[in-house]
Amino acid sequence: MKIRKNEIQQYLFLLPVVIIILIIFAYPYVRTFIYSFYDISFGGTESNYIGFKNFSYLLSNSFFWESLGKSLYWTLGNLIIQLVVPLMLAILLNANMRGIHLARSLVMLPWIAPTVAVAVCMRWMFLPKIGIINEIFSSIGLMSKQIHFLGNSSTAMPVLILLNSWKFLPFGTLLILAALQAIPTSVFEAAEVDGATGFQKFQYVTFPLLGSMIWFVGFLAFAWNFNTFDFIWLTTQGGPGNTTQTLPVLIYRTAFKTFRLGEASAISVFIAIFLIILGFFYFSYITPKEK
Amino acid sequence: MVIIAVIFLIIWPFLYIFVSSFKPLKEIMSRASFFPVNSTMKNYQTLLFARTPVRDFPRFLLNSFYVSVITALFTLVISSLSGYGIARNRRLRSGLVSKFLLFIYVFPTVVLLVPIYKLFTNLRLYDNMLGLVIIYTALVSPFCTWLLVSFFENIPKELEESAGIDGAGTFTTFTRIVIPLAAPGLVTAGAYSFITAWGEYMFALILISSNLKKTGPLGLATFTAEQYIEWGPLLAGSILIMLPVFILFMPVSGYFIKGFTAGAVKE
Repeated sequence: MKIRKNEIQQYLFLLPVVIIILIIFAYPYVRTFIYSFYDISFGGTESNYIGFKNFSYLLSNSFFWESLGKSLYWTLGNLIIQLVVPLMLAILLNANMRGIHLARSLVMLPWIAPTVAVAVCMRWMFLPKIGIINEIFSSIGLMSKQIHFLGNSSTAMPVLILLNSWKFLPFGTLLILAALQAIPTSVFEAAEVDGATGFQKFQYVTFPLLGSMIWFVGFLAFAWNFNTFDFIWLTTQGGPGNTTQTLPVLIYRTAFKTFRLGEASAISVFIAIFLIILGFFYFSYITPKEK
Repeated sequence: MVIIAVIFLIIWPFLYIFVSSFKPLKEIMSRASFFPVNSTMKNYQTLLFARTPVRDFPRFLLNSFYVSVITALFTLVISSLSGYGIARNRRLRSGLVSKFLLFIYVFPTVVLLVPIYKLFTNLRLYDNMLGLVIIYTALVSPFCTWLLVSFFENIPKELEESAGIDGAGTFTTFTRIVIPLAAPGLVTAGAYSFITAWGEYMFALILISSNLKKTGPLGLATFTAEQYIEWGPLLAGSILIMLPVFILFMPVSGYFIKGFTAGAVKE
């Protein structure tokens, strides 16, 4: 195969992005794997090779498994809401009317709003006695007493999942909406000629054609939610107790609060392997099937 | 009608926070009405003018601005080059590269916490705003590349070919013909980089320690860790962090939605 001069230049265009990816992603990635076999304390001047001890320590302790459980609960809860609600929103926003572009832009706002600001304001809004959420619920008679939503071990996780999903709704909505718009109208017209009702059109035409996009959104949402750190840290710091301590929160705590960098790296390795396997399945089984 | 109701349901918290940031402390700390009864600018005044070295919010915002602008500039240079390279090379476009960029986008950044902390400490980029710029550029460049590929693809190849016939090299064609035509894409990618860098919290948390170098999000978060939380200035601060993002986003939202989804539909 003869490579033309032009083509070499085209590869050169990619050089900067490749270099920055190597330094910021690839190299640290490899380091994480190496660190996970060492006992490193903060400051990191002394480090001893300890083999698989970090891993065996994690696997034999319940806090790691609890944290993994929280992570799965968190991820799946978010995933379901972030697939179902955007699907409905996208169908709603697929209408052709005046001001629809403004509507689409406004729906995006929770997604682009800085997490810190959202987290701070939500903490205030969900407080007992002074927060508006308690006020709303008690005024419509849903609650008889005040609930400290984020400070109560039974409500903290579900409430956080709802809040985080609210923030990420726009993302799925946007992608599903794009897929909807890519469906030619002739398909719907044909279905109408055949006498399909509104819901039948959705069930037999829209939904199957959205398949690959729903998988795509699901894959992205799973990966992102599994890695959420800032939103949880800024609202509950993993609390109350350990009720919202997902694996990313555990990594941060282990590394920067208890200063066990080797152990934190071992948890990171676990997350990385888990998501690589997931990505492998997505790219090798789900994407090709659609083509 | 349904649409308006649903939109209101989704974005009412922003309206509520905005109007509440003008409430006096008494109304913020009690169940007052939705709108302020005695509106006041005091929350903003406290935040902006009662500056101490530890709580210097204007400085935090300025730091964020500096970091975000430089990040956007770096990202534009890097990702317009790579985006063009991919768009004009069929082997790259259809091949693993664009999938790889997507993979980077879902990459678990929390895995990077420990090694980046150690690497940046060794490189003297710890507690250094340039360190943040570098990491943010790395975080957004893959996605911006992906975004720009779809913009570059829409530029007719004939334009470039005729420039080539006139004796322009690949690089001249790129700077003189392609870049001006892809302006909407560049604005979108720039806005995306700015917005991401402006709101990022996790890496700022582990890489910045001195008060002078804190970014807006980091500064706001430290206020909530104080023993007595002053909600009034916090709400005002949240609004000041959100507003630039919204103002920057609304004009480019159309392009943004188009560019963002054009790549995704093809995948």
